[in-house]
Amino acid sequence: MATDLRISNISKIYPGCIANDNVSLQFKSGKIYALLGENGAGKSTLVKILSGVISPDNGEVFLNEKNLKLSSPLDAKKNKIGMVFQHFNLFETLSVFENLSIDANEDNKSLRVRINEIFKKYNFSIDLDVPVLNLSAGQKQKVEIIRCLLRSPKVLIMDEPTSVLTEQETEELFISLKKFCDEGILIIYITHKLKEVLSLCDEVAVMRKGKVVSVSQTQNERVETLANKMVGQKLAKIKKKINISKNKDEIFKVKHLNFYSDDPFETNLVNLNFSVKKGECLGIAGISGNGQNELFQILSGEIITPNTSIIFRNKEIAKLNPKQRREYLMAFSPEDRISQAAVPELKIYENVALNNFKSSNFFEKGLVNERKIKDHSKKILSDFSVNTDNVELKSQFLSGGNLQKLILGRELITAPELLICYNPTWGLDVGAINYIHETLIKINDQEKSTILISTDTEELLKLSDRIAVIYKGKLSKIMPSEEVTPEKLGVLMGGGSID
Amino acid sequence: MSLDISFIGILIGSIMASSVPLILAASGELITERSGVLNLGVEGMMIIGAISGFALMVITDNLFIAIIGSMLSGVIISLIFGFLTQSLLTNHVATGLALTIFGIGLSAMLGKNFVGIPGKDFPILFSSLRESIPFFGPILFGHSIVLYFAFALPFLTNYFLKKTKLGLVVRAVGDSPVSASNQGINVILVRYCCILYGGAMCGLAGAYLSLIYTPQWIENMTAGRGWIALALVVFATWSPIKVLIGALIFGGITILQLHMQAIGFRIPVQFLSALPYLMTIIVLVVISRDSRKIKLNTPTSLGRIFYKEK
Repeated sequence: MATDLRISNISKIYPGCIANDNVSLQFKSGKIYALLGENGAGKSTLVKILSGVISPDNGEVFLNEKNLKLSSPLDAKKNKIGMVFQHFNLFETLSVFENLSIDANEDNKSLRVRINEIFKKYNFSIDLDVPVLNLSAGQKQKVEIIRCLLRSPKVLIMDEPTSVLTEQETEELFISLKKFCDEGILIIYITHKLKEVLSLCDEVAVMRKGKVVSVSQTQNERVETLANKMVGQKLAKIKKKINISKNKDEIFKVKHLNFYSDDPFETNLVNLNFSVKKGECLGIAGISGNGQNELFQILSGEIITPNTSIIFRNKEIAKLNPKQRREYLMAFSPEDRISQAAVPELKIYENVALNNFKSSNFFEKGLVNERKIKDHSKKILSDFSVNTDNVELKSQFLSGGNLQKLILGRELITAPELLICYNPTWGLDVGAINYIHETLIKINDQEKSTILISTDTEELLKLSDRIAVIYKGKLSKIMPSEEVTPEKLGVLMGGGSID
Repeated sequence: MSLDISFIGILIGSIMASSVPLILAASGELITERSGVLNLGVEGMMIIGAISGFALMVITDNLFIAIIGSMLSGVIISLIFGFLTQSLLTNHVATGLALTIFGIGLSAMLGKNFVGIPGKDFPILFSSLRESIPFFGPILFGHSIVLYFAFALPFLTNYFLKKTKLGLVVRAVGDSPVSASNQGINVILVRYCCILYGGAMCGLAGAYLSLIYTPQWIENMTAGRGWIALALVVFATWSPIKVLIGALIFGGITILQLHMQAIGFRIPVQFLSALPYLMTIIVLVVISRDSRKIKLNTPTSLGRIFYKEK
């Protein structure tokens, strides 16, 4: 049976922010709809309203012309609206089966039978009796999808589903979504990734600042047109001049980097050797979970490995801790902005003070020099165009893009010689990504070096002078980026070999 | 003193009796904590249970009413905690501490007129079997109904958490209240129920002290057992069976070191008194070393305030 979902004049206002401003949209089954917008455009608010998590101040939702009262998630479930959240709504310490059975109305035996049917139909396979925390992000998402499928949904909403997936997992997801769509499930796909919209979806609605600004067929759109609609202004195309710097000094040199861990969740690193020249960007590609985490922690000094030699500016620094390395003018931007780079509960200026140097005089005789830190923070906020000038704001209220700008600003304002960043644009929208990319290129132009560990091949090709691929803890040979193509990277990232 | 076999039987029987309040309170608190609520008011709820049980016994002369009343008083005082932490979103730790202080003070005030009144004999079950079977008799028979209940409780709790739908819901709420709420589970209601259940068990644990174990009212008679129960839950890594083991070890060494003191071992008394605490922690840490299991049993959201998005 065809499904018809209509949203009519939905508004939701939070103090100081209009999340949804009179939003009206219409969806019909048999198609995949994209809801596109930058972070903070109001997409998530809209889907939270559709799934009954929050209720709108105004407006109505109609399913097959029936006015839905969505005042709790139960109402959405009853009306066969399924939702896969961006931050998984799973119980990490419970087993997969327990997660699935918690809201099922049947006995365990018949539930198992039904789950296995779904497994067969869509080619899934997950051990039902392991705790969810042992699963990969892709598997967790499958558990969420199965939970929706068990209730035979009419509408399936996916909120930024690929932000945590590898490319392989993304492909698998798209195949499944197309299958669901063929079976008559109406799919609403929320994202800020333009390519996904074009490759997966039939129709696209673009949201900006709480309003729907355009609805169109994806076949009439291109990446650039969508990007401009989403950001509301023309985006400058950035391209890097490759540094032809054969004769420059090596500023950073790693030899015999080995790492062995008993923890099954960590990856061992096997004999990594590489060097970075002055003004160069070394890209390290790879699918997440191939040792990038461990590599970053070793380079930043969080993990000290024996027998490794790290030479930085002609000094051996392998035994130094992160603070000491920073004093030697290294800077770091970890992958996880919330838990590794900044303390979300602290105010902006307090987070800035965390990265203190002897030279910055943030502390005097054991006392905090608040004025100095605040002045310094204000400078960062304005220099790096963070979208606030209130240094008293708690960092958790910054959007991902602004937080990343703050972190980069904090790291760069001391003019480091080497910046090591890991997925610096993870989960950010186009505008913020552009800004960060420009910043990283600027660093290289100023003859400072960067190591860019990233899972985004496009970003690596855009920014790196030389690229290596990490696979299962081993590093491929380092290639000049003009010789690298996305296909070559793909082969290496999957464990294949070229030449 | 002869260490004959029947003496050992009696000794084990008394060890069991001394661990009952710990088992009851810890099992109740375990359910509360499994739902993600950290209630540090165990000591306060126990002492309120102790005085209200004793007072009701004196006033009504009915032990059944006294027992039920002590549990109800535990429920009422935990309701204060529930209202503050779940409805007014106060900090769990501070509220729990306040509850303990409040409970100790209130019980002392209520108990003024009950000091020195002798208690009543609590009926014991199978008393004839206790005498007739050597060794096993004093262990298995001749106890109050509360003791039998207490020893069944960890197993029931384990079954509830692992095998029943409701137990699954409690664990889910303790793991991630946001996810649970998004799945349509009424997190606040589940947490209220777990808090009240914990209160009832603590009330019963207190009544066991004032009605059965040492049948009289003495000010501050719980003497820190609530804190031990709290520690047991944590060191037993939220596993009901390990709580039982921990409570028995604690009770056992408490009784044994008393005997050792009486015999006059050449070990400082202070060390002997500290021994139960030390040994319980060591044993529980050793039996719960598996870090993977700890992670799976620990309620991830323990002590965190949950509020529903609107």
